[in-house]
Amino acid sequence: MSAHEWFVTSRVPYVARSLDPVEETAFADHLARCEECRNEVTAIEHDLAWLPMAVKPVSVRPGFRGEIARAILENPARVRRPNAVWLWAAAASVVATSTASIAFVSAARHDSAQFAAAVRARDSSLAGLRDTLSDMRDTLSVMRESSRVLQAQITLGQRTGGLLIFADQLHHRWQVVMHGLPPAPVGEAYQFWFICGDGMIRDATLIGDPDRPAVYTLILPPNSGPVLGASLTLEPVQDSSKGPKGKELAHLLL
Amino acid sequence: MTEHRIRSLDQRERDATSQHLHLAAQESLYRRLIARDERALVELIDLATPWLLGVAENILHDGTEAEEVVLDAFRRLWHRVGDITDTRSGIMPWMLRVTRNLAIDRLRSRKRQAHGDALIATGYAHDIGLSADATFEMSLDGRAVHDAVHHALSELSTDQERAVRLAFFAGLSHSEIAATLGIPLGTVKGRLRLAFEHLRGSLSAVREWAL
Repeated sequence: MSAHEWFVTSRVPYVARSLDPVEETAFADHLARCEECRNEVTAIEHDLAWLPMAVKPVSVRPGFRGEIARAILENPARVRRPNAVWLWAAAASVVATSTASIAFVSAARHDSAQFAAAVRARDSSLAGLRDTLSDMRDTLSVMRESSRVLQAQITLGQRTGGLLIFADQLHHRWQVVMHGLPPAPVGEAYQFWFICGDGMIRDATLIGDPDRPAVYTLILPPNSGPVLGASLTLEPVQDSSKGPKGKELAHLLL
Repeated sequence: MTEHRIRSLDQRERDATSQHLHLAAQESLYRRLIARDERALVELIDLATPWLLGVAENILHDGTEAEEVVLDAFRRLWHRVGDITDTRSGIMPWMLRVTRNLAIDRLRSRKRQAHGDALIATGYAHDIGLSADATFEMSLDGRAVHDAVHHALSELSTDQERAVRLAFFAGLSHSEIAATLGIPLGTVKGRLRLAFEHLRGSLSAVREWAL
């Protein structure tokens, strides 16, 4: 599950202004750098545009409309007008850009198809990099904004590794890192559990690799009471029971 | 701005004649506002003020503050109309959104929990001032949109509608709603998510200020 998930689920509450103030600030910060969320927020605002019209209209105090008009029109708007220097600079820029473009198109006319394909490939590559960068920023933001860091050392056979949790309670998501552990024994899997007020909640199955830490962003379970901590167990692969049955490797409480 | 124009505006306050502002007229209004046409501003003030005051008073419960918010919203429109990039919905939704946001910003500068307590004490949490004054509304532009939105709200469950009223029309946050209604935070989020999903679908058909 992506670290972006919290922002996705917070888009409508952001438009509705029902996020708590600190969450709202965090979302606005994210919005400034996420085009996908910006577009979706605009779409939601569009869909809910008329919802405020459910209110009971208020009888306007006699003279208030005139007061509004006077207050605005008798204090003229400070309309920003571009000054002449900037206009000349802009015009010069347009001329220079046009000249360069004409020269470029002329030179490239004979292999324009090849050029277009190269541009498409570059755009695609850039889009991929942008997505990767956005994911990395979100992943880092979980660590940066975590309010608690939990860690446990785990020894399994000849290997010693651990479980590291960056708990970002504000955005209801955790960054979970399992490191130094071998692949789970045949027929078993590393199972991550949230310890909640209403009991243990099964979450991700983690993949062991002694040479490369496994990093996961997990969203806190929404309807299971407060999250109190986490547990890592070894469970049979096919098992999907609600509670843990296997050997507990780590037990961490907030 | 001439005195004559302001006097004619005050005259219209006493005039029960309804004016009809359709989508095309709204687009024209937008263009005229960009062109700094003062008559366009006067027309918009005439039509929009009762609704904008309704939005602000619902949140602030203070007539004077609501008037200040509405004045601020019109001032922003007049100063920034050329910067409004999303004009798909029209000027009126923009004004509604700005007014609501300004009112919520003011509300949040107060002691929020005191506001929540007051809601419980007055039973207001269960009736967020959306009840209709049929006589008044019948003579007002925007009545059809008002009815369409109420129809959409009536399709929600009672619990969902209550959560929407507190979130959207009273300006409370998730945790304040949870505290006000005495239910878990996750339940509030779940109700609002389902409610707004439904409202997005049902309100997307309302595309114009039709009368």
